[in-house]
Amino acid sequence: MTPARPTTNVTDMDPDSRTEPNAETSAGPPRGPIVAREDADTAAAAAPENGAARAAPRGVAVELEQLRAFYGDSEQLRGVDLAFRANEVTAIIGPSGCGKSTMIRCINRMHEEIPGARAEGRVLLDGQDVYAPSVDVVAVRRAIGMVFQKPNPFPTMSIYDNVAAGLRLTGRRGGDLRAKVESALRSAGLWDEVSSRLDEPGAGLSGGQQQRLCIARSLAVDPEVILMDEPCSALDPIATLKIEELIAELKTRVTIVIVTHNMQQAARVADRTAFMLDGQLVEVGPTQEIFTKPGDSRTEEYVTGKFG
Amino acid sequence: MSAPAIDGEVLARFNVSPRRRRRDAIARRTIMLATLIALVPLVLIIYYLLSKGLGAWSSDFFTTDPTGNTFFKNSNIGGIKSAIFGTIEMVALASVIAIPIGVGVAIWLVEYGKDSWFAQTVRFFIDVLTGVPSIVFGLFVFIVLVVGTGSSFAGWKGSIALSLLMLPVITRSAEVILLLVPDGLRESALALGAPRWRVIFSVVLPTALPGMITGMLLAVARAAGETAPLLFTAAATKATSFNLGGFMNSLPVQIYNDVTSPTTAVVNRAWGAALTLVSLILLLNLVARLIARRSRLT
Repeated sequence: MTPARPTTNVTDMDPDSRTEPNAETSAGPPRGPIVAREDADTAAAAAPENGAARAAPRGVAVELEQLRAFYGDSEQLRGVDLAFRANEVTAIIGPSGCGKSTMIRCINRMHEEIPGARAEGRVLLDGQDVYAPSVDVVAVRRAIGMVFQKPNPFPTMSIYDNVAAGLRLTGRRGGDLRAKVESALRSAGLWDEVSSRLDEPGAGLSGGQQQRLCIARSLAVDPEVILMDEPCSALDPIATLKIEELIAELKTRVTIVIVTHNMQQAARVADRTAFMLDGQLVEVGPTQEIFTKPGDSRTEEYVTGKFG
Repeated sequence: MSAPAIDGEVLARFNVSPRRRRRDAIARRTIMLATLIALVPLVLIIYYLLSKGLGAWSSDFFTTDPTGNTFFKNSNIGGIKSAIFGTIEMVALASVIAIPIGVGVAIWLVEYGKDSWFAQTVRFFIDVLTGVPSIVFGLFVFIVLVVGTGSSFAGWKGSIALSLLMLPVITRSAEVILLLVPDGLRESALALGAPRWRVIFSVVLPTALPGMITGMLLAVARAAGETAPLLFTAAATKATSFNLGGFMNSLPVQIYNDVTSPTTAVVNRAWGAALTLVSLILLLNLVARLIARRSRLT
């Protein structure tokens, strides 16, 4: 793992211009730079915790510049330039194996967790390159939440502990843990269903509830971006609908990137849609446009079901 | 839908042929017989252990040390208290040494070493160690810690020999269990922004714990039954000792010494000690099974 380095030349990533209109969010801690973990911890410890600061829009833009990803010698992502706008939902569509998942796994540097996998290029998170040598991967991942295809609550933990795990695992104790857990569960639309049984194992919930539990878990650490890798592919239509409603609510405060195989889902939830093919971005644009008058014939063939 | 078939037609098409039926019967009986043959020695061992061992059991048997007075027929030969305590103490120390190291190696192999050449080499040598006869561990400790230091036998030296024996068993079983922990759990914890060590301690190990405890207890059970590593490391003694720096008795060595005696009572004590040892190991296995049942990994 990259050793944490002392911070020296850190650009302040907390834009003064960003307002926090909600009254209950008073005096939130400034967003720490994504450089050294120690700094993030110290900053969090020094500043008063604000568990209720969730409603403030704090999504940031993510830009990919010539992003290339490899598994061993095989190049899976062949130079992608793509920008995700702050507080928008961007859907990534494309046939299996086109590099959708690989691409979003590069954004929070999870791609490199696979043995033999590496990435090249730049991923700018609010202007700062997460692949810069001085960057601490752990700090990057704290700023970017991720929801996986298969709901995967921690099996040894209760519902409460699963949500609290995000805070405990990142060493951010202190503050009102219970309030934060409740706030995250409410945001994930799960509170009313589980508030009476927070001590029961998270694995005992239904698939859709488990997935919302996983969303709550990632919301608890207050990310700026949430990456969703086919979050509904293991869920039934009703559970899917709930997740989609949730996505619409969450985008007011985080930037969401969702990989989906389901084009109706992309049409329902996404502000913008990107179509990928064979490790490359074919086109990106407003969802409506991609589905009704795409600029590229390959996009048209895909969205009209001619292949994929 | 096709029209319902006439009974005769269905039978003709789908009946089992007499030849296949015969072969099936023969095959079933053959494997059943093999199972029964394998059960014979097991049943006999349990029968002899119970019939000879239970006779030796008494309250004095567990609460007195062997006296060493075995010459006269009526002399009080004493019980096996020192052997029980010796075994428990030495195995406990061996576990304290082998479990952290073994689990540590397994964590390194699964979480860090993965398929690197060094990890592969480590795995190879662990497999080699698993196959090393237990007397070789005893010999090694004898040469290095007894002869090598010019000192005498001691309980802790026996524990070292036992821990060497346990180490590969614990490592391999822990590795298998750690590999069963779904990668999705590691990924979701890492994606939350947890440092790797915290992912291991807070997510991977708790998930793997029941399975790992099972492997540990099986290693403990195996070590408890070993004679060879203790014969010339801890030796044997009569009195119950809580000093791991001195000679120490143990159940397997007690059995080994007793069974060669010409005195019937002493041989019977060996049977009693053997039954005690088997009961202890059975108990450990039962506990291991109970814990394994609680495992969330399948």
